[in-house]
Formats: sequence, structure tokens, C-alpha cells
Amino acid sequence: MKRILTTLGLTTIFLLSCVGEKVRSQNSVAPKESFQITLPNKSNSLHFAVFGDMGTGGEPQRQIGSLMWQAREIFPYDFVLMTGDNIYGGESAKDMEKKFEQPYSQLLKAGVKFYASLGNHDRSNQRFYKEFNMGGKEYYTFKKGNVQFYALNSNYMDATQLKWFEQELKNNDSEWKVCFFHHPPYSSGKQHGSDTELRKVLEPLLVKYGVTVVFNGHEHFYERIKPQQGIYYFITGAGGQLRPGNVKSTSLTEKAFDQDQHFMLIEVVDNQMHFQVITRAGKTVDEGVITRQLQKGP
Amino acid sequence: MPSRIGTILAYLFGMKTNLNNLASHFWGRFLYGLICSLLPLAIYAQPHQEKPQENEVTAEFTNRVQQYVKLREQLDSKMKKPSGKSEPEQIKAYQTALQEGLRNARAGAKQGDIFTPGMAAHIHNIIKQEFKGKRLKKLRSDVAKAHTQGVPLRINHPYPEQKELDEMPPTLLLKLPPLPQQLRYRFVGENMLLVDTEALLIIDYVMNVIP
Repeated sequence: MKRILTTLGLTTIFLLSCVGEKVRSQNSVAPKESFQITLPNKSNSLHFAVFGDMGTGGEPQRQIGSLMWQAREIFPYDFVLMTGDNIYGGESAKDMEKKFEQPYSQLLKAGVKFYASLGNHDRSNQRFYKEFNMGGKEYYTFKKGNVQFYALNSNYMDATQLKWFEQELKNNDSEWKVCFFHHPPYSSGKQHGSDTELRKVLEPLLVKYGVTVVFNGHEHFYERIKPQQGIYYFITGAGGQLRPGNVKSTSLTEKAFDQDQHFMLIEVVDNQMHFQVITRAGKTVDEGVITRQLQKGP
Repeated sequence: MPSRIGTILAYLFGMKTNLNNLASHFWGRFLYGLICSLLPLAIYAQPHQEKPQENEVTAEFTNRVQQYVKLREQLDSKMKKPSGKSEPEQIKAYQTALQEGLRNARAGAKQGDIFTPGMAAHIHNIIKQEFKGKRLKKLRSDVAKAHTQGVPLRINHPYPEQKELDEMPPTLLLKLPPLPQQLRYRFVGENMLLVDTEALLIIDYVMNVIP
């Protein structure tokens, strides 16, 4: 059953209530509660996960890692987008092991690639770390299926980066253009709120060159923003950190959740992007589908 | 006519404070409306244009930055630089070696070597011009909230691992002289630091740049 949630111009969101396979926790770290994958889970579509603000090395981070592994058993994905604050504090070999390699050891062993963007707690040298797949660059782009991804460094958005970004957008005719970076241009968070300075320089490019979806972190909760100038913004900044009670529902908010850590699963089927947000307790707190505009950009 | 303009100006400058009178006067209302609508545009549209003296200041700053980069490149060329496929140990070893190399090579470095007094004043002015009202308030609040307390204002001191690197407002970065990729401007409270991105070393700083 499909229910129309929002209609904005050429883009429409539908809420899906598809019945998927049940996942059950297999060990003591993972939540006992079962959860459902509500995504279409087609064999020939693009699957990936997104999360951010994870690198604490704490128990919630490990629990999310375990749950992401379980989800992959029935929703096979090959890569994960990281919205920044990948590693809090030190970045020694021991730190990297505790705050990244251990929590996602099963995913890493299975060959899942993590694509990192830098947050305010991350050092630039993370771009050299092989498991972050940044190719030695603070901002970079890569293509998967019909989607072009852009990892930006919102921590230091200078003229050089903006010029590079515009050039990359201009020269690309991918069906989907998806950006991920740390600081949210739109947010209903009490701690930080919308990054209006970043929005001033970035939004015109996102709009002009037909970016459809943006994933951010920084705020330690989940928020789906009402489409802004045709762009869908998601804040997913509680992959390890959590700031309960920090999101206030505002005119920007489509859906918000700040009571548990979470991660996102995404599936792109032609001109539709399906999303599901799963908490540490295995609860689905948001789900839906974005339909891409067919004619957009210059 | 002159007396009419005089009357209007008198209204506008508060010599006649009754706003109802002003609103009822055609010319007064017209001129008042025109000024009110154009003034914000004029302020917003005015780009930061460097005066000749500012040009000299930024040219000197850029020159000093280039000297630093040259020195750094000499050191860097003798080291094994990590690639995008490096292990944490390799990255750490490079960072430590570069840090040590720079500290030795710049053992006598002191505050103001790169941020000259002229440049410090220039940065202060740029921020003063760029950030006003709510934006200035937000900037102050952001730098106060950032976990940068305890970052020492000391040349050749490593930027502490546990402290965040507060986001630099992009609108400000577009006004400041651009830096090569090896260096970054960073706020620590109301002070601005020049930090080496790979060595994570404090190269210079200027205090109280936020008005």
C-alpha cells in the first residue's frame, strides 16, 4: 500500500509499507528486537548504507556496527557513506582499530567499502587512511551505478573546493547526483541548527546542477528536512553519538528522531531512491521513497 | 522646492519626530521608502575591495606563506608521504616526522612572522565588515561552543588531538587571502590560528580577531 506524503513540483515522496524479511539478533551485542527491511531489495538495484558521527569507540557504535552487518545479510550492500566525525580524539593505529576497524570488522572482512567525509573532529590526514577510500583527497567524487557521489569537506569550504565542485557537477550527466558532507545547511537542532553560512555558498550550486539528495551529520540525531528548492536533505549524525531531546520540530522538519543511535539503508531503483532508518533497537523510525526529477540542471 | 527638500530631510533626520506626519507627506514617504529599500541592498552588494595599502599587506602575507610552503616542501621531499591507501602507522609516522622537521627548521619562529601586524588588522577588518548583527552573534556563539578550549596559543606547538577543528565560515574564507592546501585558518575562541594540515602544527596566530 502506498500513501502519498508530499507532492512538490515534479518530485513526489511516497511512504511505503512493504513487507520485508525479518532480521533477528544473533548475539548479545545486537538488539534483541527484530526489525524489517521495508526496501524493495531488488537484486539489480544499487544498495548502500549511510551514517555519521560514529567514531567514539563506545558500545552504541559497536551495536550499530553489528546491526549493520545483520542488515547486510538480507539487504546486501557493498558500500557505506560516512557523513563525518569518523574518529573522535586520537587517530593512532590503536584508535583506528578501536573506533573503526573493530566495530565494522565483519563488514570490512566482507569487502564493504567505507567512503568518508571529514567532520570537525576529523584530521585531514584521515584522507590517507586506506579504509576511508578518500584517495588522499579531502573532497572527491565517485560513481556507482547511475549515481554520482560527491564527498565534500564542509569544515573548510574555500574557493578552491567550490571551484572543483562546480567543475565536477558541470561535467557530469549522471541521473542522480548525491552529496555527503558533515555540516547541515538545514537543521532543526538546538545544539547547532542550520549552517546558513555554508548554505549561502553551496546551495546555489546544488540547485543549479541538479543535486537531488544531500546527507549530513554533525547533529547527533536523525532529521529528514522538507525538500528545499527541490533538494532532499537528511541528517544522519547518530551512528555512535547521540544527543537525546536535541531536535525540536520546526517548519523544516519532515521527520525527526533523537532517542537512539541509527543508520540508514538506501536503495536506488532507476529514478527512485528508497530509504529506511533503523535504530540501535532495531526499530524503523522513517522510511520512504524519493522520485527524481527527470529534467533538471543546465 | 529647496524648502520642500529641507522639510523632507528634516523629517528623515528626526527634526520632526511625528511619523504620522512623515507618512502623510508624499515626498517624504517616497524618499523614505526609496532609502529603506535601497540601503540594505547597497550594504549587501558592496564587495570587499582591497585598498592599495591592503594589497601590500596581503601580498606580504602571501609572500611569507609561500616561504613557509617552500621550506615545508624541502622537508616533505625527504619523507615518505602517505598515499590514499596507507595504514594508520604510516600516516602517524609521517605526521610526527614532518612535525619534528618543521619545529627544527623553524625553531626561532615567533608570533607575527606570518600574520604580520598589518595582516592581523586586515583580518580583523574583514570580519568586522563581513559579520554584523545576527551573523556576528552566531559566529561568536559558534566559536564559543566549539571544543577548542585549551588549545595553546604557541608557535610550533602541535594542535591537540582531542580538540576539534572548528568549521571556518565559507563566506569568510572567500574574503580572506586563499591559502595553499598545506595551511588552514582556524578559529580557537576569538583568536585565529594558522595550522599546518598534515603536521598538525600551530604555525602562527593572531588574537581577538572577532570584534
